[in-house]
Amino acid sequence: MDETREKKMTIKRTSKYKSDIAGWLIILPSIILFAFFVWEPLIESIRLSLYSAKGMQTIEFVGFDNYAKIFNHPDFAAALRNTFIYIVWSLVIGFFVPIFLGVLLTETVHLKGFFRFGIYFPNIMPGIATVMMWGYFFRPGPTGVLNILLEKIGIEPQVWLTNPSWTIPLIILTMTWKGAGSTALIYMANISGINPELYEAATIDGASILKRVRHITMPSIFSLGKTLLILQVIAVFQILYEPLIMTNGGPNNASISIMQLVYNYAFRDFNYPMAAALSVMICLVLVVLSGTYFKITKEKEY
Amino acid sequence: MKKICILMCFVLMISLLSGCGKKEEPATNDGAVTEENTNTEAEGTDAAAEKVTLKLGIWPEDTLTDDIKLHEGYVKTFNAAHPNVEVVPAYYKYATDTFVSLAESGNLPTIFESWYTEPQKLINGGFVADITDILEERGWLDAINPSISDLLSKDGRIYGIPRDGYALGLMLNVELFEEAGLVDDNGVPKYPKTWTELAETAKAIKDATGQAGICLLAKDNAGGWHFSNIAWAFGATLTEQGTDGKFTANVDSKEAIAAMEYVKSLKWEYDVLTPDPTNEDWGTGFVNLGTGTAAMYIAANDAVNQPTQVNGLPVDKLSLVPLPAGPDGQQYSLSGGTPYMFSKDATKEEIEAALDYLEIMGKAPVATEDAIAGMKADNQNKINNGVPVIPRFPCWINEDLLAAEKAVTDEFNNVDMKLYNDYYEAIKKEGNLRLEEVGSAQDLYAELTKVLQAVITDKNANVPALMKQADENYQKLLDTNVNK
Amino acid sequence: MFFEKYNKKTDGTIRFYDLHSTKTKIMCVVIFVLCLGIMVFSLFPSIWVFLASFKDIKEFRRNTTILPESFNIQTYIKTWNDLKFIQYYINSFISVTGCAICAVVFNGLLAYGLGVLKPRGYKIIYGLVMWSLLIPTTTSVVALFVNINRVGLNKSFIPIWLSLGANAFYVILFKQFFEGIPKEFIEAAKLDGASSLRIFRSVILPLSQSIVMVVIIFAVNAAWSDFLLPYLVLGGSGKETVMVRLFQFNTSNATDVEVLRGVAFSIIPPIILFAIFQKQITLSVSAGGIKG
Repeated sequence: MDETREKKMTIKRTSKYKSDIAGWLIILPSIILFAFFVWEPLIESIRLSLYSAKGMQTIEFVGFDNYAKIFNHPDFAAALRNTFIYIVWSLVIGFFVPIFLGVLLTETVHLKGFFRFGIYFPNIMPGIATVMMWGYFFRPGPTGVLNILLEKIGIEPQVWLTNPSWTIPLIILTMTWKGAGSTALIYMANISGINPELYEAATIDGASILKRVRHITMPSIFSLGKTLLILQVIAVFQILYEPLIMTNGGPNNASISIMQLVYNYAFRDFNYPMAAALSVMICLVLVVLSGTYFKITKEKEY
Repeated sequence: MKKICILMCFVLMISLLSGCGKKEEPATNDGAVTEENTNTEAEGTDAAAEKVTLKLGIWPEDTLTDDIKLHEGYVKTFNAAHPNVEVVPAYYKYATDTFVSLAESGNLPTIFESWYTEPQKLINGGFVADITDILEERGWLDAINPSISDLLSKDGRIYGIPRDGYALGLMLNVELFEEAGLVDDNGVPKYPKTWTELAETAKAIKDATGQAGICLLAKDNAGGWHFSNIAWAFGATLTEQGTDGKFTANVDSKEAIAAMEYVKSLKWEYDVLTPDPTNEDWGTGFVNLGTGTAAMYIAANDAVNQPTQVNGLPVDKLSLVPLPAGPDGQQYSLSGGTPYMFSKDATKEEIEAALDYLEIMGKAPVATEDAIAGMKADNQNKINNGVPVIPRFPCWINEDLLAAEKAVTDEFNNVDMKLYNDYYEAIKKEGNLRLEEVGSAQDLYAELTKVLQAVITDKNANVPALMKQADENYQKLLDTNVNK
Repeated sequence: MFFEKYNKKTDGTIRFYDLHSTKTKIMCVVIFVLCLGIMVFSLFPSIWVFLASFKDIKEFRRNTTILPESFNIQTYIKTWNDLKFIQYYINSFISVTGCAICAVVFNGLLAYGLGVLKPRGYKIIYGLVMWSLLIPTTTSVVALFVNINRVGLNKSFIPIWLSLGANAFYVILFKQFFEGIPKEFIEAAKLDGASSLRIFRSVILPLSQSIVMVVIIFAVNAAWSDFLLPYLVLGGSGKETVMVRLFQFNTSNATDVEVLRGVAFSIIPPIILFAIFQKQITLSVSAGGIKG
């Protein structure tokens, strides 16, 4: 009895080993890809950030010198400040617009297919095409597209992106224009999934339409909103091409982002150690950000 | 959470270290393999009549079909003399965001063009070949205009040769000057002689035509680059070098502030700029000038194809005049050279082949028959594409070449030289030409550009305070990067 | 008439019984008009691109009109030929197809391993993958490019394809979906003696069509829009994609209208694809989003 049991155990164990090996073999190719495309370059960055270099060839170990240099760099404070302004505006515009759109579109019954199509349409535009296109819209002077439109209703031409206090909100607006549709669709699906009886019960209790939205719709999409929020902050923290192509970080650093600083160090100044040091810092901040977030919301996974 | 974090870090380190170890092996193996390959290749070349591959980064962009034909002609001539060299067109437009990747991966073309601002950066990064000995052998070393060779040298070694020299001047769109009635009886524009006059002329043009008087750049470092030339005219020197070799920023001098106040007045007092200077860079400046949305633009003699061929301005409607003088009559032209540089991985044979090719293009300090034929073909192509054929800025100074160049330019001249003569007179004056600021010019330009953006977008910008800030920032950068 | 359709409305807040009050009726109309306004806002910019790219450069820089003076299709054809766009289309097509396949196969396999097979120690890999979500890729792109050269894959589509095979987000999408597949199916296949790979191919994948569709849509979109890595890897090889060409406009002599036409060319294929697969795309985005 004992013997057979032991035998069974061994068989089970060996088969477990076998399936372990099979499992590892199956994921091995993907792991190699991750190592090659994501992890190894990151390690390389960490290493580089601690050295001085000629191009990408490291010369000598300099400890945290590169990190210190970044804090001393005149553009760093501006980039840091801007990045938080980007986040604030993306919460004000980028976060609420899709919810609003989602709620609004759910309440229509006509042309719904078309609305769905239209709202998602900007999302299929490639990123740089979008940015280039909006660049023409925001062009100051009488030939900018928005100014042409304003002129038709008798409003003076505006300077758009070159007004330092508009720059970031307008860039966020562009990002929202492109991204809000897909997020709105997700909210719509979520709203449609709410149990209709909840609404009916509320109606019987005499709740008005707005009250129903506030007390039923909003709570139902709350947890989805949380997840999307953190993803959005992570994305906005890494904003790069929008300011790079639309304003090159200007005017007078009004829109330079931290990632753009990294880009400048690497691709304008060829100073890879500093670029690496800054990107390592960004990674750390992101890890801390999402760590804190998950702790607050007590979620373990996405 | 903290525990998990620490654990994760630990795991991350371990797995990465092990990952590294594993990955390192094939990598080094590969390295060895390529090394072997190059070795055998090298041996092969020794044995078999020196097969050389010349990757031409100076090949024209694919949209410029006429220019490509021109080069195909050059290749024919070249291969007749060098049958062992295989010429590979490898059009490369220098761009900072691709350059290092190409260099690090050994994919740079043998020869490529760069920008006026880049040589020192490329030399410091070790990306370009030292060609001192090769030039010495050819006897080209002394032929380079000394003011340009400084830009291409470091510690007595030289790393590039000039394609063209340039000196900044003021380009005019003659059509707009005509429209505003600002031309004399011969059709020559009445151009401004001082910066104050420039503001007035610009205003007159704007009032008459509705188009901007001058295109000022404030998007990237080119803005600061142009501004440094304006500041000189106002009597400023932006960087000073002490006897100990250390650099001191001098951006907030009262002359420099005056220059910046002047720029500010162009926007808020005269209102003669294009709608958005913070979106104008070197290229869009030529778009404005060429398409008639700006009448004046600071530019140089080596870029006359930009407003004409590229942006459609008729060949006889472009004029190049000296930059205006400052309040005390000081007048300078920032000069430099657009360089040809060579990949650090290029062999001596490859570089020699590239130089031979330049000879055939007529861009080398030799006046052989082939070279003259090359110049002629080049100028014919310019005429066909509506580009003014005007004298080059002497980047090589050997007499025979200068004479040959002059003869060819005169023969193919297609514009009224009255539109250009004053410019050429001005840059011949003693002390007129000035090289870019010492220290860390790119950092200086970046700081100045930020100030430009501020004064152009904010009517109430406090210029002295901004310049003081720029001065502090620049000094900081000088101290961390240069003064050691 | 306008309101009849509300009888069938079963989701959202407003129901047919709310329509007794005129206030609600007005609200419905207002909402409808608002939605129309939003449509204008989201569709007009792209339409403008097509309108404006018929202008010539002088007209574009100096005239303040929305409509071009004439719709001369020849200018379009000329730019198309000058820039040799057909080649970029073909290149992009090759790149996008390979990317989509890699995205499904490699991320799918990894998710299968992490979500279903769970070999001992899989949590380490899962943790690393989760961390990868937070790593900005732009900064390490140079290091990556040097690696690509070291293994001799420069100027080839292979690294572009494979780069989509290492995407943490797709892995998580797949993993969550696979975990929802009833264990009985897998156990049954195991009893039949199917190998792990076989189970993936003949049990998991057929059950996961919806998520595969989502990932393909995301991957196609990403691959079509990506330009930095392709720019570095494919630049100068004759294999440049449409986006690479568009990015090159940054440092080229092209005029505004040529750039605009380039933008137009770059958005035509996505528009066509979207027009055809509109239903699947919008549905799968919302479906994928809920899981994500």
